[in-house]
Amino acid sequence: MSKDLVNLNVNPCKMCMPMGSVTAFYGLAGCMTILHGSQGCSTYIRRHLATHFNEPIDIASSSLTEEGTVFGGEKNLVKGLDNLIRLYDPAVIGVSTTCLAETIGEDIPGIIRSYRQNRPGLKAKIVTVSSAGYAGTQYEGFFRALRALVEQVEPETERHGGINVVTGPVSPADARWLRECLAETGLDCILLPDPSSNLDGGATKKYERLPRGGVALGDIARMAGAAHTIELAEFVPEEASPALYLNRRHGVPFTRLPLPVGLRDMDRLAELLASLGGRRPPRLEEARSRRLDAMVDSHKYSAGVRAAVFGEPDFVYAVSRLLCENGALPVLAATGSRLPGFADRVRPDIEKAAAYRMEEDFSLLDDCDFETIESEAVRLGANVLVGSSDARRIAERRRLPLVRAAFPVHDRVGGQRIRTLGYEGGLDLLDRIVNAVLGSVEASFREELKEKYYLERESRPAAEPPGAGEAALAANRLRSGRHPCFNGGGYARIHLPVAPNCNIQCNYCVRDFSCPNESRPGVTARVVTPGEAAARFVAFRDASENLSVAGIAGPGDALADWELTRETLRLIRAADPDVILCLSTNGLLLPRHVREMAALGVSHLTVTVNAVDPAVGAAICRQVDYLGTRYHGEAGAAILMANQFAGIAMAIESGIVCKMNTVMLKGVNDGHIPLIAAKARELGCVLGNIMRMAPAKGSVFADSPPVSNREIGAMRKRCGVHLRQMAHCRQCRADAAGRLDEDRSILFAGGGDEPAGERQPGFFRFAVSSKGGVLKEKR
Amino acid sequence: MGAAEILDERKASIKAGGEAGIKCGSASVSGAVSQRACVYCGARVVLNPITDAFHIVHGPIGCASYTWDIRGSLTSGSGLYRHSFSTDLREEDIVFGGAGKLARALREVAEKKRPKLIFVYSTCIVGVIGDDVEAVCREAEKRHRVRVVPVQSAGFSGTKSHGYRLACEALMRLIRPRQGTAGKEERAGVNILGDFNLAGEMWIIRNYLREIGIPVQAAFTGDSSHDSLIRAPRAALNLVQCAGSMTHLAKMMEAEMGIPYMKVSFFGVEDTTTALRRTAEAAGTERNIALAKAFTDRETRRLCAFSEKYRPRLEGRKAAVYVGGGFKAISLIRQFRAMGMETMVVGTQTGQPEDYEIIGGLVGPGAVVLDDANPAELERFMREKGVDILVGGVKERPLAYKLGIAFCDHNHERKHALAGYEGVVNFTREVHLSMNSPVWECLGRAR
Repeated sequence: MSKDLVNLNVNPCKMCMPMGSVTAFYGLAGCMTILHGSQGCSTYIRRHLATHFNEPIDIASSSLTEEGTVFGGEKNLVKGLDNLIRLYDPAVIGVSTTCLAETIGEDIPGIIRSYRQNRPGLKAKIVTVSSAGYAGTQYEGFFRALRALVEQVEPETERHGGINVVTGPVSPADARWLRECLAETGLDCILLPDPSSNLDGGATKKYERLPRGGVALGDIARMAGAAHTIELAEFVPEEASPALYLNRRHGVPFTRLPLPVGLRDMDRLAELLASLGGRRPPRLEEARSRRLDAMVDSHKYSAGVRAAVFGEPDFVYAVSRLLCENGALPVLAATGSRLPGFADRVRPDIEKAAAYRMEEDFSLLDDCDFETIESEAVRLGANVLVGSSDARRIAERRRLPLVRAAFPVHDRVGGQRIRTLGYEGGLDLLDRIVNAVLGSVEASFREELKEKYYLERESRPAAEPPGAGEAALAANRLRSGRHPCFNGGGYARIHLPVAPNCNIQCNYCVRDFSCPNESRPGVTARVVTPGEAAARFVAFRDASENLSVAGIAGPGDALADWELTRETLRLIRAADPDVILCLSTNGLLLPRHVREMAALGVSHLTVTVNAVDPAVGAAICRQVDYLGTRYHGEAGAAILMANQFAGIAMAIESGIVCKMNTVMLKGVNDGHIPLIAAKARELGCVLGNIMRMAPAKGSVFADSPPVSNREIGAMRKRCGVHLRQMAHCRQCRADAAGRLDEDRSILFAGGGDEPAGERQPGFFRFAVSSKGGVLKEKR
Repeated sequence: MGAAEILDERKASIKAGGEAGIKCGSASVSGAVSQRACVYCGARVVLNPITDAFHIVHGPIGCASYTWDIRGSLTSGSGLYRHSFSTDLREEDIVFGGAGKLARALREVAEKKRPKLIFVYSTCIVGVIGDDVEAVCREAEKRHRVRVVPVQSAGFSGTKSHGYRLACEALMRLIRPRQGTAGKEERAGVNILGDFNLAGEMWIIRNYLREIGIPVQAAFTGDSSHDSLIRAPRAALNLVQCAGSMTHLAKMMEAEMGIPYMKVSFFGVEDTTTALRRTAEAAGTERNIALAKAFTDRETRRLCAFSEKYRPRLEGRKAAVYVGGGFKAISLIRQFRAMGMETMVVGTQTGQPEDYEIIGGLVGPGAVVLDDANPAELERFMREKGVDILVGGVKERPLAYKLGIAFCDHNHERKHALAGYEGVVNFTREVHLSMNSPVWECLGRAR
């Protein structure tokens, strides 16, 4: 789990207890709620509920003031009750506390007792709920209200054969389905709560201020005499469970089941109802059969689903089970509630699904925020988000589809009609999830496969005039077909080692000049002047058929010696208006020089980014020299990263096609690389290149564990979710020349004074290497 | 259920058009189901559009959760303000205090993120449990060399208007020149106070001012940043658009810096034209005045043709307005009048006596004016007056629909501009499309 700011909740994946308790009260007939606290709580909660359910939401407030806070809020609460009774004349009044009322220690039961005594004609039943905002989330608040109802409504203990069915927060449409499903069994069922009409009402001739649908007080009283309680919630704390209370106080046996979203869980509910004497309506069998048929129809698409599921614990658990039984993998199951047993409960199903998918990595989190959910979803390569609309910003940033299946939905209509329960509802949700992934595939597969496999030479387009903007980018992307690193199989490139100095120090790097047999980035036989470089370029071009790229890749950093690089680029462009100019850099000075680069005609750029988090960056790069100051640790890494990101964005704006290289360092940044790939895509890079690192002797990482071919392959595959990955990198030298699969640099290393064409063309030396790394500073 | 009765305590806050002496600005009546939020809300809505600030809510999670990126303020730079940061206080923090948690959070943010500006909002219980937020912020500001501005916005400590005041004071604290840094440069141009760049409205206003050659120093607070705000003392004039929230800041700036202010509105053709011409007169030269006249004439002519097209579909219909501040209500009444519509129900959450005086003069004696109205009153009067459309916020929308009344969202969540001449086009269209939608015919409620 990765969290950036550990002392703050960043983008909460939870709401507060009063929210839950007033939502539960909306499942009662003739109920009005008052929040004992300051005015804002009720207004915020009303706004949240109104946009999701699209129904008028009236919640009173005792509107506590400074005086009430200091001297006690009884007066406010009493007046509030009087007023809401005059305005709404409710049958039930829910009194829920807030942070403020609980903290100043209001004795609510006492206040209500004396209120009742002073108003002998009072018709309304008052139910009190202790729901401090800091004591739990809306999930716990919801059940606390239900528990308060079964505890405080005068019970009718006379036995009857009825069944109690208790649910957590489900949509009105799901509640409606559940009610009908229960009715069809012929059992006498009491559904607590029942928001089906109060939170999803019709257009009537006459508007009723007080919601009249929902479970009646008399039915709640009768729950004490029922034959059985079914509680469709498995994470409710004991002290908030209505089923447990009815069992202990009135001896009503109970069964707890998950929400019937998955097939297995709906089967269990149907079996339980049958065992309690219910009919099995033929319609249920038909629905089940249709569900099975549909599961088969979509099983191969389900196998492509990598979902991040988040929200209230019952929802996350039930949806995870739905996904798992279909072969879809919930790579992340996360709830905002603090619930230590959550992971253990969810794990078995997901472990099994992961085994089927031959994967090991997934994440199960409680008490987490959206910052964590975002970084985990990206790290694990999720391809769909399932939960509330609160993830819409992640969806937008990460270009992931979001299936809005839980409260709150603020940016779409129909929140009240979302279906997730039963054979049909669960299937509806499965279809939406699978379709979201199919939609992404449909939108991208043509382009992706063409990028990946179509390597035919395109006819050489005329050289594009250097320029800024999208048109230049489009033209430059076309030219990628002639660049061996981007798309151009069969073309050759020459690296011109003109820039010896580097402005950062990486822990895997020892800068040194090398023997000509060593092939790895940063290595060169010798550094040449711009004039020599241009001559070398001309010589090599004239001697080869297929030279299309002239690049500068150090041996230090191309931009650390900008004057030399600039002069080289200028000379080459003057000598050849058509050749692709390419640079490789660590990006530190990119924002400073990128505009000029574009103006000089650079069309392709590679930036090596090994971290997107300063803490990780600091472990790789130990010092950064920037504008005359040497920065160490995270400070340096942060400067480097900021400039890399800004520079890449500016480069793309200027029309330059960008690739991001990343050196995979076991135990240092390997877990973090998918985030880098996601960042690369976000910035607009077209290609990623994850490279193996064989640490240079004498470097800090000299004894680090090597990365295997399999590991590199797996990482490329994982990152391929975010960004197309280069699989043909040869990690070439700073003076490499030729096609990627041949290095002819030795033939041209002498500089331009002896035309290479005069040499025997037969003596090509092949230097294929797998080493990474490297370059040592030598003064 | 019949027409709702009016609670005794509420009677003084409801007047007929033209009747003087409405009760306003007081605490909401308990149990009356006020549409107002709280002190924290008032402070947060004013400061939140500052794009590069860390807005940290010190308190339990609810307050942060419900105010996370719910407003349509746009940014041209940082997107930091769209995140929700909270110390997420739990039961144990209530017992042992939350100051330590806040200090750690400030340190982490300062060290990892190096922002220029952090706001710390205290919510209800922070004052009650005794966290010395002021001291924690002062200490953090000194130690980490970043501006850390506390906003003591306990929800119970007043009304939403009090939150506006606190926000103004926080802004004053931010822009007050520190010793030795007081600029000697000549003052020029204006600050815009009280526009939050909903749907790009601040940009629209800036564009207009550019048309008439008036430079803008700082904008409060739509699309603003730490660096842009501290330029405010260089302005020669403050334009106050949302008077309810920003008059206090304007008054403080006048007293301390000698910058005069002027209340303006950019809603509706008339108000926008007046605002631009008065600005040119107050802060410009003859050239600016001429530019303003030419620009507003051109825009007015352009809109004339547009309005004529729509007028037959709007004329003679009745409107209800229930919005946050008085100045917006006044603009809306004028706008409806320009469209040939009469406003029959007007209410605000935080209107001032002087706003209500103007409102009373604008509407007819058949209209009703309400301060801090509740759903039952809105229902009763919208029915009684037979209104065709309600202009309000999202909480009121479902009520209007249930009553078969059209609706126009003038709250902070909207995604289209309602300010300036562009806004007139959007507003007129929206009113027409909702009021004349074929769905009302299906419901048999066509008027």
